[in-house]
Amino acid sequence: MRRLLSRYIAVTAALVTSASVAAAQGGTTISGRVTNDAGAPLPGASVFLQGLSIGSQTNDQGSYTFVVAPARATGQTATLTARVIGYAAKSVTVTLARGANITQDFVLAANPLRLGEVVVTGAGTSTTREKLTATINTVDSAAITRVAQPQNVVSALAAQAPNVEVRTQSGEPGASASIRIRGASSVTGTNQPLFVVDGQPIDNSTISTNGGDQSTVSTNRASDINPADIQSIEILKSAAAAAIYGARASNGVILITTKRGHAGATRYTLSSNNIWDTPQLPNLLQTKYGQGTNNSTIQSCSAVNCAASSYSWGGAVPAGQAFDHLNELFDTGITSDNNIQLSGGNDRTTFFASGGLNAQNGYFKGPNNKYNRASIRLKGTQQVGQKLNIGGNLSYVDDRGKYVQKGSNTSGVMLGALRTPPSYNNLNSYTSTGLQRPYRFPNPGSVQALEGATYYDNPFFVLNNPGNRNELGRSISNLNADWNPLGWLNIKETLGGDYYSDWRIEALPLTSASAKTGSVTRYDINNLIIDNNLIGTVTHSLGDNIDATLTVGQNMNSRRYRDNYDAGTVLVAPDPLALQNTVTQKDFEFRSLQHVQSYFTQAELDFYHQLVVNVGVRNDGFSTFGASSRRANYPKASVAWTFSNWLNGGDQTGVFSYGKLHYAYGETGKEPPVYAAVNGFSLTNTFGSGYSDELNSVLSGQGGVSSLFTLGNANLKPERNRESEVGLDAAFFNSKVDLSATYYNKNSSDVILAVPVSAAVWGAGQMYENAATLNNQGLELTLNLHPIQRENAAWDIGVQYGRNRGLVKSLAGAQFITYNNEGFTGAIGSSTVGFAPGVIRGSDFVRCGRQLTLSDGTDVDAACNATQKAQHALYLGPDGLPIADPTDRVIADPNPKYSMSYSTSLKLWNKLTFSGLLDVRKGGSVWDGTRGILDNFGTGTDTYIRNQQGQYGKNYQTDIYPHVAGPGVGVVAFKTPGDWESWFRGDGGGFGNVGAQFVEDGSFAKLRELGVTYTMDQRWVRNLIGFSSADIRVAGRNLHTWTKYKGLDPEANLGGGEFLTQGLDYFINPQVRSFVLSISLNR
Amino acid sequence: MTYARKLGILAVLGTMLGAVGCHGDYLTGGELSTSPNRPTVASNRNLFIPIQAELFNLWSGDPARVTGIYAQEFSGINRQYAALDATYSQDPNTTNGQQQAIYSSGGLVDIVNLETQAKQQGDTLFLGIAQITEGALMGTAADIFGDIVYSQALQHKANPKPDDQLAVYDSVQKVLSAGIANLQAYHTGGTNAGPGPADLNYGGNAAKWIAMAHTLKARFYMHTGKVRPGAYAQALAEAQLGIQSDAGNYTAAISGSQIGESNLYYQFNDYYRGDMFPGGPTIDSLLVAHNDPRRDLYFTVCTAANVKQSFTDCQPGAAAPTGLLDFGDIVNDPTFQVPLVTYNENTLIWAEAAYRTGDQATALAKLNEERANVGADPAPNSLSGQPLLNEILNEEYVNDFALGEEAWMLYNRTCTPNLVPHSSTKKIPGRLFYDAGEQQTNTNLPPAGQGINGYRNPATPASATSDGTGAVCLGQ
Repeated sequence: MRRLLSRYIAVTAALVTSASVAAAQGGTTISGRVTNDAGAPLPGASVFLQGLSIGSQTNDQGSYTFVVAPARATGQTATLTARVIGYAAKSVTVTLARGANITQDFVLAANPLRLGEVVVTGAGTSTTREKLTATINTVDSAAITRVAQPQNVVSALAAQAPNVEVRTQSGEPGASASIRIRGASSVTGTNQPLFVVDGQPIDNSTISTNGGDQSTVSTNRASDINPADIQSIEILKSAAAAAIYGARASNGVILITTKRGHAGATRYTLSSNNIWDTPQLPNLLQTKYGQGTNNSTIQSCSAVNCAASSYSWGGAVPAGQAFDHLNELFDTGITSDNNIQLSGGNDRTTFFASGGLNAQNGYFKGPNNKYNRASIRLKGTQQVGQKLNIGGNLSYVDDRGKYVQKGSNTSGVMLGALRTPPSYNNLNSYTSTGLQRPYRFPNPGSVQALEGATYYDNPFFVLNNPGNRNELGRSISNLNADWNPLGWLNIKETLGGDYYSDWRIEALPLTSASAKTGSVTRYDINNLIIDNNLIGTVTHSLGDNIDATLTVGQNMNSRRYRDNYDAGTVLVAPDPLALQNTVTQKDFEFRSLQHVQSYFTQAELDFYHQLVVNVGVRNDGFSTFGASSRRANYPKASVAWTFSNWLNGGDQTGVFSYGKLHYAYGETGKEPPVYAAVNGFSLTNTFGSGYSDELNSVLSGQGGVSSLFTLGNANLKPERNRESEVGLDAAFFNSKVDLSATYYNKNSSDVILAVPVSAAVWGAGQMYENAATLNNQGLELTLNLHPIQRENAAWDIGVQYGRNRGLVKSLAGAQFITYNNEGFTGAIGSSTVGFAPGVIRGSDFVRCGRQLTLSDGTDVDAACNATQKAQHALYLGPDGLPIADPTDRVIADPNPKYSMSYSTSLKLWNKLTFSGLLDVRKGGSVWDGTRGILDNFGTGTDTYIRNQQGQYGKNYQTDIYPHVAGPGVGVVAFKTPGDWESWFRGDGGGFGNVGAQFVEDGSFAKLRELGVTYTMDQRWVRNLIGFSSADIRVAGRNLHTWTKYKGLDPEANLGGGEFLTQGLDYFINPQVRSFVLSISLNR
Repeated sequence: MTYARKLGILAVLGTMLGAVGCHGDYLTGGELSTSPNRPTVASNRNLFIPIQAELFNLWSGDPARVTGIYAQEFSGINRQYAALDATYSQDPNTTNGQQQAIYSSGGLVDIVNLETQAKQQGDTLFLGIAQITEGALMGTAADIFGDIVYSQALQHKANPKPDDQLAVYDSVQKVLSAGIANLQAYHTGGTNAGPGPADLNYGGNAAKWIAMAHTLKARFYMHTGKVRPGAYAQALAEAQLGIQSDAGNYTAAISGSQIGESNLYYQFNDYYRGDMFPGGPTIDSLLVAHNDPRRDLYFTVCTAANVKQSFTDCQPGAAAPTGLLDFGDIVNDPTFQVPLVTYNENTLIWAEAAYRTGDQATALAKLNEERANVGADPAPNSLSGQPLLNEILNEEYVNDFALGEEAWMLYNRTCTPNLVPHSSTKKIPGRLFYDAGEQQTNTNLPPAGQGINGYRNPATPASATSDGTGAVCLGQ
């Protein structure tokens, strides 16, 4: 791959260099320098001739130069514009005489609100920021490459915009990240926004091989985009902004624009990032008490095939002899991310070419946690005649990963490791004959003996398993044309394809605890999206003060998905870990086809350069809608009034520099899952329990067919979100301070869900319906301060605040629906009426104020006073212990109350930049299922308490149950270690039914970034290494987390992007703390 | 710009729009409108395989394990089962959706589909078999959950009322009788294709199904015996027509050829979890006392060579292991076909029903017929009165090993053996809670919290207050 890439780049560079030389004879040369009003150079500014599509970008010194070909320099006048992010654009008129040398410098005023910037608004449309009538957040390339986990573009959006909640599953290479904009608007699916790259919708699904709560990590597919290729990301948050994508936009839209070439000298960038990752590991494990039970001696078991206790309720471990089963799993992970980019062009041709190699070696010991991505991109445009510009954008990515079994899985790495008593040496992982040594069966004599035993895998056996891999090839490419047949008419056409083939294998070798005789899963996934987007735009001015733009478009989209899942069981020989080496194979194939055919139109009217009105509608036809509602309309209307233009003429200076109000209303939708509108029978139902034991639909060679558990519905129509938004943007003190505030109210109706129905009534447990209603309301605030803007110093401070309140208002008569694959009995993901989507259900102990009666007839509330009832005080029985209450209820809401981020950057002498980012999340509970289980086994730090006498709620669990009531108050329930042991091994531990006792506050503050960049652009740099500048950056990411959460990390989640429910911690993998060294060479 | 040129532009635009936009069938047809992943029709034989799988699951899967733990045939030693065993802390999720499974795929809905199709096709053989399967399914549902929706089931009307448990048993007797009648009326050939090889137990043999149905009728009459004294005579009459030899046994007839076709006990305890242990000394002492060869089937007796678990009586290196070590083939063998409705059960029902109706001589003879069939020592001829009843009940308990619901129903009805509850503050549960999913979609199902341990429905047959020897019942 590496060799292929370099050859490819060399060829491209050669082609382009010859083209630019030819263009420089006898035309008009335009050059100059672009600086800010303090005199500092502005690199990366584009300077271009309007209407001619000719221009260049400034270098690190702010200088630019380009040549207008003689054929196009006919002595006419033209508008020369300089534009750069963060500054107000300026234009001057120049005369293009042949052979002339024009020197034109620009001094640009800071424009913190970035008002003049062009903002991509979707489906081929764009506008300038000051004309935006709905909220769109922009994240530019510098912010993306600086952030915590830039390898995955979704992770890179963390803390970048208010109410954009990003969660990265763990710090493992290839872990998925999920993103949620303004809360969840639906109760099915994972509420991920639509991802659009250069106008083309792409796939961002997260597909687990064997279930999100176990198996291995599997990434979200947007991570296939090389972040180094990204110029900017637009986040379409409001329905009014997203309505242009109709029935696919209910969760917002992420518009990614990749970098492109500019006319002028060919620019090269070579960048190398090296990242050293270490896990963030709090103290989860006790190191005092060894293997065994009853606080007796440490159980040692040395005979062949002896079975040892699974618990750490034994005697004290001699000083210095305890093993640290958490830290011993990890070493330093190293990621190297190397990119080469070339761009340039002339007045008719531009190109951008890039190659990237990202190699992540994870933090687990051993060679089996890796994720490598190699990507190439070639993007070019060609002006054909005076009116047509055609372009192409080709990209190919090759991903290869090696993974470790995780989660709720007796073959998961953390599960076996954390349950191991501190007295047992997991590092002595194998017997002399090569058999694994799990702590419960430490001296196996044979494979057969292990097959008959019960244990969790030795974590090093798990880490040594090479059987979990994937290889993916993907191309996202398009052809586009931009045609201006008439001065007032523009036609844009984009035809693109997104295809990937993901080859996966997930194999458990012989003696794996969850498949003792071994297993091999082969999973092939193929996905193809073809998208065609055609739009026409008409612009017209009515005098000087009214501009009108009308856009009409059409979109055709086809999505073809195919997968083939082969489950092989019982290995024939110990190796290879391949399907043909299994005794039995079971195959499943799934394929689907979805089509979309849509029309849309929007009109924008700009009155007196201060009032912008935007109205539009999209008509969507989806093959997935029911036959009776094949098409649906999504209208939008919005208005923005830049009242500062009315007040002070629009010069954006003074104490009150700028002010804009906007109101927007829009409707978006969501399509049903594929084939939810049709019925049939199942070939693959199984008959068993949630413990995996089950009988197939084929028995003794006889094929079975049975009714569907979820009934289809031919009347399904799209979900509909109706959102109103009101916003204010303002700047003060010569734009040194700016702020934005947005309030929104989104009502979702006809929300599609598999409504739980009575099986006794329907013979099925669920039925698809448009039934639920939801509401999300929220507030977003952004404040930016630019206290120092001088030639040699610039200091910026930014604060963001976002809060969202989600509320499930109805679920078609049901009180709740559960996501059976998300969580466990005792803590299961759900949507429940009266709560935000994705709350966790389970049971609690008996508490006051809940109208409970005990089995012996005791009226609980009668034993509580009014205060205790109001506090829902914990009711303690006469023995001083809480009593399990079997009522199924909401026990945790993982949705945060609000989130904030604080960022700052200080740039000195235009060479040295310090930056920092602090991310704060307040609220959002996490079910710490890991703690519950470790308490049961006696390995958790909670169990240090075993040698103390104590009262429940006074000496233990006071943070979770601060108030107690009932006859057991004051009773010392725990007198001996045995009392603690029996409590933790019963209702007080994670295998009891009471999930609520492990729900903790997931609030945190994370120091996401602290970095310093030094830019070297001295002459010796050019002379010595041949580059115009070099940037050296040293940074730390996720340096510290402040949290009360007792588990590994309040952010990590059992399922990644494949779960709607967040806040489930069950033997999750840790997040990382990183040290970064980056070198970037530019020319 | 000339008019002609403008016209040209419009023509190009029109063509572009037309080329991509004017396919009327772009949104329908082929795999856009029908799922390529699912069949649209199911033959009778297709339907019958999942129906049997669901029945096997009900009788030898999780419901059998949970009820078997309550009846102390098994003990839960780890994780969820440990809590269930120690404190009976069940909740509406304990059943893992097993109540919904009664009605949904492979359950009642597909039995009704099968019955409807069989009727349309005039296949009385298959119809009769389907009806007997329906009786087996719904009778067991009543065992587990007590009052349960049956007469109003599958009518697509919201909030159906559950029938009283006794009413369900009555309906079950009717559908079993109807099944028997259809099988008796059946003639070979013609429209009676029957299940053929899709009948994993009997290959479509009507006589075997008829006998099995009579044993089932006897079983469900026994379950009501405590509140309906006449039921014992009815059970006796049915047992006399029931399964008369091991060749007629109905088992979980799995092939064991792969994990998804293996003995569910094996799958759970050996392959996936290992969360259960055999019940304690009660059952073993009964086996030992009668030299019952099933001891080797139920248990693996501890020897130094086969130590696998940290069972208290069998620590590694112990000089002379005496206790029980592990399950025997009944759990450890993936190909073992768990007996579900058997000659032995029929014989013991006959014995107890005879005793209850005053015929002690037949009772003893039938007890010893069962003992002889399994190879155990006979009971002495002198055995009579309450000791004879107790001996029969204990023998039923031994025979019900791995058939959790039956052991549990026996205990609920007779308090034999007189089990000591594992929780000092709780009684042994008399039913499982309704599924959370089923409860929230039917307002006529009472909530789990009706008394935190609402382990009985109003019409559940009364629990025994004394055991087979007349002693006070400890666990009810």
